[in-house]
Amino acid sequence: MRISKLFIDRQVADHPTTRSIQSRLNVSAESVQNAQQVYEAISRAADPVQRGKETLYLTRNKGAFIKKCPGTSHYTCCDYQILHIGTFCYMDCTYCILQTYFHPPILQYFVNHDDLMAELNSVLSRKKILRIGTGEFTDSLIWELWTDVSNLLVQRFAAQKHAVLELKTKTTAIAQLKSLTHNRKTILAWSLNTEHVINTEERATASLSARLKAAARCESWGYPLAFHFDPLIIYDGCEEDYAGVIENLFSHVSADNIVWISLGALRFPPSVKTVIQNRFPDSKIIYEEFITGPDGKMRYFKPLRINIYRKIIACIRKHAPDALVYLCMENDEIWRKSLGFIPADVGGLPHMLDQSAVKHCQLKSDDVP
Amino acid sequence: MDSKSSDNQNDYRDIPLDPALARQTIMLADVDSADTTFRITTQTDVDNLVLSIQRLGLMHAPVLKHNPPGYVIVCGFRRIAACLNLGWTQVPARVLGKNVGFFEMARLAIADNALQRPLNLVETSRALKLLAGADIEKEALAETAAELGLPLSPAIVPRIKKICDLPRPVQEGILTKVIDLSMALELDRFKPADGQALLRLFAHLKVGLNRQRELLLMLEEISLREEIPIHQLMAEKPLRHILENTEIDRSVKRQKVRTHLRRRRFPMISKAETQYNAFVKQLKLGRNINLMPPKDFEGMTYTMTIRFDNQKELKNLKEKLEEIIRHPGLDKILDG
Repeated sequence: MRISKLFIDRQVADHPTTRSIQSRLNVSAESVQNAQQVYEAISRAADPVQRGKETLYLTRNKGAFIKKCPGTSHYTCCDYQILHIGTFCYMDCTYCILQTYFHPPILQYFVNHDDLMAELNSVLSRKKILRIGTGEFTDSLIWELWTDVSNLLVQRFAAQKHAVLELKTKTTAIAQLKSLTHNRKTILAWSLNTEHVINTEERATASLSARLKAAARCESWGYPLAFHFDPLIIYDGCEEDYAGVIENLFSHVSADNIVWISLGALRFPPSVKTVIQNRFPDSKIIYEEFITGPDGKMRYFKPLRINIYRKIIACIRKHAPDALVYLCMENDEIWRKSLGFIPADVGGLPHMLDQSAVKHCQLKSDDVP
Repeated sequence: MDSKSSDNQNDYRDIPLDPALARQTIMLADVDSADTTFRITTQTDVDNLVLSIQRLGLMHAPVLKHNPPGYVIVCGFRRIAACLNLGWTQVPARVLGKNVGFFEMARLAIADNALQRPLNLVETSRALKLLAGADIEKEALAETAAELGLPLSPAIVPRIKKICDLPRPVQEGILTKVIDLSMALELDRFKPADGQALLRLFAHLKVGLNRQRELLLMLEEISLREEIPIHQLMAEKPLRHILENTEIDRSVKRQKVRTHLRRRRFPMISKAETQYNAFVKQLKLGRNINLMPPKDFEGMTYTMTIRFDNQKELKNLKEKLEEIIRHPGLDKILDG
């Protein structure tokens, strides 16, 4: 997808990062007094979500750069920290909750890296085991074309021993990572899905084979890896297709180098259903058997989730019996019926993930009991 | 009745009628009845009017506009139809002068209907659309709409205006009160065959808007998921069997249709509900104990309600509770 319009917050017009991005983008730029002007321009479009994906707004983050992942009530959260480098994404996945998460949704990038680094330095100086990722409010690597943010972050994380950075993506924008000193403190993570889902629901993303090849290259550069089967989408033949993806995954990368694999069945706030109906009328994913969970999100009926989790976990176990597989935002019953245990039995999900990060990324484990 | 309609001079007081052309006898063959530009009424039956004209004559002349080589009807579509039914070859008419513009004719056509009886939604829609076609200032348009008793709300006018462009059966659905405005506009999203099948279903079951929406949602989502047009889904044997069953009354039919569609839309959830009810039945809870599963079986918390009037009843219930706890059926319920 092409960025067709650039808005620049007047306050950051002369910022070196702004200038650098502007020189790489080659699109007309408009200086604005405040974000409201940008929001109004986006909201006026017939499809504001689409317009938001084609419009980049450069500004400064006036709030916190590091935030606790919002998670969701009633389900087990992994206690992840979000590094807030920007918002939204130019790829166009039907199920993406960011379509309704931001009002309006807009591709927004924060250029005040000095503030970001100051906050990051402060957090890292606490020397606590931390898992920090940039891929919650945006795709971690979509910014590689125009910015050096990964360069900055990977090298900063390489210079400490208590935290890992997870870069989560559906792209193959890894070229800049090759020559970086990372000391295995950056985990390269891919969201994986079946070719069918990628072709029908994940527009403008890299193909499965391209994602796996990129992962293999990152592994060859010494990076630890992670994979997220999220969202798992149920359709006729999905079990065989997911089994095929897992075969394919382990033919590209080594099981020992995988820090974690997450599974999360499709879930979304009801507002996303309306967006999918309007923006992607051919998508059928919302017409399966969903219930409204106690957190207000639509989820597959419980036995359907347990079934798909069990099948996928069994496939993964064949290739990687020791890999840490976890469920994203599920309750104890689903854990027990899918994985045979609940997180509390082994110290809790955050502890499980911390331990795996310590093991694979050579963190100093003083604070992991 | 049209023959008694208020053809009083006040209605037309500021319409400039050409005195030379005002009253003429026009050959009915020259009147273009197919041109319905100014037609407001949805009534097509002219039997009563035919009788009235036979007995009393044509009391009020239709209003026509000369449109060479013939005439266009502005007021009196039913009167012209009745005269044709009676085999008349000519009709007395008031013919509007050349200087009468579209707006004035629209106003006349609407007034001829709206000032003598309340318009139904389709007629209101035709009236609003007709007025909107006039090339006049917004304020004048609003003033005229108010004079004629048409709705003015910006929220409702655009919705009503769409009605007259809806397929004929949907308009009929509104007129026969099978559906309301919001459902009519909703049905406009569907292909004609699907919209009509839904209309037939709603008419057959005589269901209100909420139930219509529920049925529509289930049918539409099954249709989209399975790529089967709605009218084909409705022609499937189980549904047809319920609808064509003359042995059961309408309220039972409604329930059966709803249950069938819910099972079709949510097979796993419906199956779990049936299974749950069967297990609960095994527990023989009695009328004083009620066991509720978590909503949609999603959580893990079950709710039990017990009702008692005195200690003796409570003691009996305690024994019953212990029996329930020991019952293997409870394990099956709690294990999901």
